[in-house]
Amino acid sequence: MSATYLQALLSGLSVGGIYALIALSFSITFTTTKTLNFSQGEFVSFGAFVGLSVLLLLSGTFDFNAVPADASAGLKFPAAVVTAGVLVGVVGIFIFLLAVRPFAGKPGMSWVMSTIGFGIILQSLGLVVWGPAVVNVPAPFGEGVIRIFGAGVRSQELVVLVSAIVIMLVFDQIMRRSLLGKAMRAVAFSPQVASLMGINVTLVMVGAFVMSGVLAGFAGVMVAPISTASLFMGLGFSLKAFAGAIIGGLNNPRGCIFGGFMLGVIESFVGLWHSEWREISVFVLIILVLAVRPDGLFGARTVDKV
Amino acid sequence: MPLLELKDVSLDYGPIRAVDRASISVEPGEVVAIIGGNGAGKSTLLKGVSGLLTPSEGSILFDGQDISRLPPHQRVARGIAMSPEGRQVFPDQTVHDNLVLGAYARGLSDKALTAAIDEQFDLFPRLRERRDQPAVTLSGGEQQMLAMARALMASPRLLLLDEPSLGLAPLIVRDIFQIIRSLRERQITILLVEQMATMALKAAHRAYVLETGRITLTGTGAELLNDPKVRAAYLGVAHDAA
Ligand SMILES: Nc1ncnc2c1ncn2[C@@H]1O[C@H](COP(=O)(O)OP(=O)(O)OP(=O)(O)O)[C@@H](O)[C@H]1O
Ligand SMILES: [Mg+2]
Repeated sequence: MSATYLQALLSGLSVGGIYALIALSFSITFTTTKTLNFSQGEFVSFGAFVGLSVLLLLSGTFDFNAVPADASAGLKFPAAVVTAGVLVGVVGIFIFLLAVRPFAGKPGMSWVMSTIGFGIILQSLGLVVWGPAVVNVPAPFGEGVIRIFGAGVRSQELVVLVSAIVIMLVFDQIMRRSLLGKAMRAVAFSPQVASLMGINVTLVMVGAFVMSGVLAGFAGVMVAPISTASLFMGLGFSLKAFAGAIIGGLNNPRGCIFGGFMLGVIESFVGLWHSEWREISVFVLIILVLAVRPDGLFGARTVDKV
Repeated sequence: MPLLELKDVSLDYGPIRAVDRASISVEPGEVVAIIGGNGAGKSTLLKGVSGLLTPSEGSILFDGQDISRLPPHQRVARGIAMSPEGRQVFPDQTVHDNLVLGAYARGLSDKALTAAIDEQFDLFPRLRERRDQPAVTLSGGEQQMLAMARALMASPRLLLLDEPSLGLAPLIVRDIFQIIRSLRERQITILLVEQMATMALKAAHRAYVLETGRITLTGTGAELLNDPKVRAAYLGVAHDAA
């Protein structure tokens, strides 16, 4: 009995790790530019397909209907992860320059349409290159189930969980200790005051979009072996991740991470009971949290004293 | 040659003209004050110098070079640092990290950075005790000191101070002006904006009076302190009492 709960907990934490990564990617660009990237979901899908393409190319094929079982073996999967992170990071530069910078900080919400439009273009380009297929992506450590205290967990779930935690710890340290992190927090407080420190605010914003893209692309490749890959996969993940970010507090990176994990776990436990209640429970939770704390659990005026 | 020269500079917020063809100059080593009432355009003028606003007319020369179109971060690199109105310290970052950010443009080694921070702690001993506290937990006076120390971390050739006395108790204001005088003795060039006209005029070599966006009067600090119009309008002294 308790093995069932442990299993639900681990799977919940694993998909929660993906939500947390994407929630963080929302938060980074929101805090620095006060805009939301509504094409974050397409970034996730794009990352998955860039990764998948690398896996196939390294396996000497480009046939999405016949992905070899060993396509993710050895160093191929890490190569796919890195390539997807880099390419989606570069896409982040483009969305900033074309869809965000012209509108950020100006009255009106043109960036809503421009980032949605950018996502539609990205998805259409993806459909031209890769088509609408749903593709099974082999996991780097195989499909076997690992037993932990009786709970059965898929290897990729553990890989996702561990790597998400590592990435978020690294990110947290960068934000707290490095000069870049301090500069990003300064820009988040006020781009004008940051510029008075000699900080090139535009460059920091570009950096934020690159980091955000890297996280989204990374999340896409990592989750593909669990969820299957399709160009439409990103939307669901990004909606949940956004919900997690709202629950935790969009302007608090640690809060976003917490919110992402929490959502994954709640979803997983509700799924044990009645899977059709999963989505409902998530959104009821959001409404409840926002009713009590409009800025999320850790949002806005809660000052981080760490 | 003046270190800073504004030639007929106008600054607008959309259709609203906040500074109208103002001309001022600041010589190296000078402390120059700009006094004026609420909404006169003092802060706007400083925004023009720091680059937060681009002039719609006229030119701003720093060291003889036209910097009117440079973005703020490039002006910092040239040696212009500002302690903005309302202090604007980074609330969630520690005193230490605020100071680190002040030196952002200098690219100092860890050792040089520590030395520069120590120098500020010598000037503002109360900040040393608060080194690892987030800036939001400081008192108003301490935040003002942090804002000034942060600007000094840039090792500026020109220091812009926007109302350092704003909202502070008289004793703290005295401390702040004591520090401004010690900076003056160290030959640091300062452009100071103040509503506390008496204090500012005493601390400054020269001063300008700004009224609804226009420079209406200029002279040495002592001259303006004794000017009947200034006394009546800004020093709270009536004409006949002068
Ligand atoms: N961001 C803004 N948008 C529009 N108008 C502004 C803005 N900032 C200032 N103003 C206007 O410009 C004029 C000058 O303002 P400024 O802040 O420079 O005055 P100030 O002399 O610094 O006043 P105070 O002593 O109260 O700080 C005022 O009429 C003000 O209403
Ligand atoms: Mg002002």
